[in-house]
Amino acid sequence: MQFINDLNLKKQAEELGVKIWQTPGFMFIIMGIVAFIVMTATFLISRNYDDPKVLVLAESIVAGIIIIVGNSVVRIVGEIASVNKMKSEFVSVVSHQLRTPLSAIKWETELLLSKLRKGLNEKQLKNIETIGSLSCRMTRLVNDLLDVTRIDQKRLVLKYEPVDLAAIIEKTIAESESLLSSRNIELIFSNNKKNPKVIGDQERLKLVVDNLLNNAIKYTTQKGKIEIKLTKSGGDLVFSVRDNGVGIPEEQHSQVFSKFFRSDNVVKYQTEGTGLGLYIAKNIVEQLGGKIWFQSIENVGSIFSFSLPVKKKSFIKEKKLFDNFN
Amino acid sequence: MTKKKILVVEDEATLHRALLEFLTSEGFEVFSALDGEEGIEITKTKKPDLVLLDIILPKKDGYEVLDELKKNPETKSIPVILLTNLESAEDIQKAFEKGATTYLVKSSYKLEDVVKKIKETLKM
Repeated sequence: MQFINDLNLKKQAEELGVKIWQTPGFMFIIMGIVAFIVMTATFLISRNYDDPKVLVLAESIVAGIIIIVGNSVVRIVGEIASVNKMKSEFVSVVSHQLRTPLSAIKWETELLLSKLRKGLNEKQLKNIETIGSLSCRMTRLVNDLLDVTRIDQKRLVLKYEPVDLAAIIEKTIAESESLLSSRNIELIFSNNKKNPKVIGDQERLKLVVDNLLNNAIKYTTQKGKIEIKLTKSGGDLVFSVRDNGVGIPEEQHSQVFSKFFRSDNVVKYQTEGTGLGLYIAKNIVEQLGGKIWFQSIENVGSIFSFSLPVKKKSFIKEKKLFDNFN
Repeated sequence: MTKKKILVVEDEATLHRALLEFLTSEGFEVFSALDGEEGIEITKTKKPDLVLLDIILPKKDGYEVLDELKKNPETKSIPVILLTNLESAEDIQKAFEKGATTYLVKSSYKLEDVVKKIKETLKM
């Protein structure tokens, strides 16, 4: 029975969205059993009846049964393949359809704020800026959903290039400046200037740092303190962000990196958030060959950390394809 | 200095207009095409210094346009920047295989950054 357990038909059925008896694995087992039974039957028949007609008939039946079962295996595999194709086509259509109007809003507001700002008063400019930042938020949400779909389909494509993590952190901090000061949060970034670059995807790593820092800010109450560290440890560079915020209840620690997870103590008063940030961060870091982890105590604070390899030869090969894609 | 000529091939009216307006005010001479066939025609007649090309287009899609431009000796050296909202691995790979200079995703690029890329490509 161990063999059947190894096949894990239940999991396969869940992943493919079909019933257990419809999974290719199950069909193959049936095909094997059928082949075995009919072969044995043919053997027994041919021992007792010396008539070639009986033998031919028995073999025809065997062939017939194998064709029928084999055919349904092929059909089911085909159906599953087409469902998967539909899924990825859906992602592609959604991505295009949602992003086109979002890009238009983004570009129009940019035009208003740059080339056409003459004659607009302070208040109008503020309003346009708000539209701009909201459209960015919406784009981010769409991108997050698309990333999750790609992660689930194992189709997330990452670049492997030398990345200056400290520069990314500084940029993210600069972008969060107004949020930090409005919440009265003190932020310290300690960085050893000699830290090497890591191998990774510039844009996606920015997203990871952004997600982690944003969580720290979002879940830290007034007059909080956030500390970011970048340290070298063996062949890795380790990023960590520590806050003295609300923390995560211990009984929910195991779910922190799951899709759509939001801890009980934040859902009550923080309605904004999809629960996708950490799930995406984990998958990006791990796909880049790194690790992500955290420590947290409710009402005391959290430390979220990830490590990434510093230059690895095996990664460089993959870089070539996307050299020009910036 | 003569103005650099840019051809914008984009079927979405709002995006088209925003690009046109921004590029013109940045000092480029801008031509526009609303579908793939028109894109190829204008590239042949106007010989722009650079083509900004969408992928999903009526009549001929961006890949077909890219194929034809790169096949024609008169247009093959004109750099083509793909500007699209598709970003699957296949799309990106296909674009580079067909000879695109670079590949930008609209929703993550500001107009300002698009111009930066254009200037970089034209070594301005």
